[in-house]
Amino acid sequence: MLSREENELLTQTDPGTPAGNFFRRFWLPALMPWELPGPDCPPVRVRLLGEDLVAFRDTGGKVGLVDEACPHRRASMFFGRNEECGLRCVYHGWKFDVEGNCTDMPNEPDEYRFQNRVRITAYPTREYGGIIWTYMGDPDQMPDLPKLEWARVPDSHRYVSKRRQENNYLQAIEGGIDSSHSNFLHASVDAFRLTDEYVERFKNSSNLRAKYHIMDKAPVFTVKKTDYGLIIAVRRNADDDQYYWRLTQFMLPSYTIIPYQKGLSINGHCWVPRDDKTCFVWSVSWNPDGPLSMEDRESIRMESFIHEKVDPVTFLAVRNKGNNYLIDREEQKANSMTGIHGFAAQDQAVQESMGPVADRSRERLGTSDTAIIAARRLLLSEIRASAEGTRPHAAQHSDVYWVRSASLLLKRDVEFDEGAQELLKAEV
Amino acid sequence: MPEHSTNGRNAGSEHHDSEVNPAHIVSVQDFSPETLRSVIAHLEVSTDFDHLVYREAELDAIWTITGYFLTNEPHSNDRDLVRRLHVGVHEAHDFVAASRPEAAAEVLRAFL
Repeated sequence: MLSREENELLTQTDPGTPAGNFFRRFWLPALMPWELPGPDCPPVRVRLLGEDLVAFRDTGGKVGLVDEACPHRRASMFFGRNEECGLRCVYHGWKFDVEGNCTDMPNEPDEYRFQNRVRITAYPTREYGGIIWTYMGDPDQMPDLPKLEWARVPDSHRYVSKRRQENNYLQAIEGGIDSSHSNFLHASVDAFRLTDEYVERFKNSSNLRAKYHIMDKAPVFTVKKTDYGLIIAVRRNADDDQYYWRLTQFMLPSYTIIPYQKGLSINGHCWVPRDDKTCFVWSVSWNPDGPLSMEDRESIRMESFIHEKVDPVTFLAVRNKGNNYLIDREEQKANSMTGIHGFAAQDQAVQESMGPVADRSRERLGTSDTAIIAARRLLLSEIRASAEGTRPHAAQHSDVYWVRSASLLLKRDVEFDEGAQELLKAEV
Repeated sequence: MPEHSTNGRNAGSEHHDSEVNPAHIVSVQDFSPETLRSVIAHLEVSTDFDHLVYREAELDAIWTITGYFLTNEPHSNDRDLVRRLHVGVHEAHDFVAASRPEAAAEVLRAFL
């Protein structure tokens, strides 16, 4: 549980709030590059950390991200003309470049123009890893981009998707690090009931997760603080004198990597506050060793795992709260726990059902919630330190993000962080 | 403190102080004196971030169990005691959140 004050401290990210200032110390995913397909293309609206912004790609291909309101009369720059290296407000013609400089003020007589003294709020952007990123913090403290493995692989090795979720970012993160939910929310009915047929099918499977979930339904949770955030380890009894470990990272401010089995693709998320009641879910699949496989592409196309089809303007998912995520009650009776297709929609359904901002003063936690407790305590500590002027270590050290999740078997007398040391390093 | 541990084991309760490992999560299935003693013993040796996270999880679990007891047992003779424990566990939880495990242990000792 959290006090109401702690909950508000964690979940409010508008300008001037402690958590908002904390997030503004990091580079954040903002747009898919295809939202701005070419020079002088139409501008698009972007809402981030409670700020209404407009993005545009100028004549030279540079991406600008500026306040939606023109500083003159507060008209929306979304209606602006994107022309000749700048975005021009259609109301009175004031024009701004990607750095926020006013380059034209045609409604003022020459002797009264003061364009050199006018600016629109503009945030720096970078294109990196299949995403347009932005930094919304103090320009004098702008860090390097995080050295995430998925951002460094060739485009053919990676798939990125973005969707909008109608709840605060924190309950989405909590879903990402809550490994106990996957045995229920994402399970088949057979897996949940451990039917004979299911056990027979997976007891000798190369799918270690399915195999060892059968053998041990009561995992042991461990969390450790790291220089990037947390490593969360879940241990199950395996054959003979071994444990099966699933290791996942929570990286500040809001990244996770799903436990990865060598030889398969890797999957992860980043959750970015849109405002206090909505967030963007960035989902990434990548293979460090080669292009994504046919199976990976098929999973993406079928929306069976973490990616989901969305409206290309609003980024709201096709399966959404308004249509009860297209729940199929017959499917729920016969096959899946939820009757909702795809892990992404399943996660979204339960996370949105908790309300826009979950009231954590009313929850009832148990010991399987240790990862969630740890993430909250870490974030609270980082947000408070940031409010006192301390720069987050992770934001200032991009190398700390060069890690990878893992799942593996280890002898019972081997500590997971020693036994998995090499596997936990990224390679690209 | 009333016993409510008839159907469960408490892995931590068998530990002597010298064996208490703060990196282990105490099995909380009740709010018996054995459970409280085990949590207190673990609080007394908790120093690191991860230790405090486990202690917070244990206190969350006791708070949950005592809360449901108060809801579900309106005629129990133990209600006043459990209500005080419920409040005390909340206080201990906040001490742990503030990285003060020794203060949390002190609060719980009053209920032994």
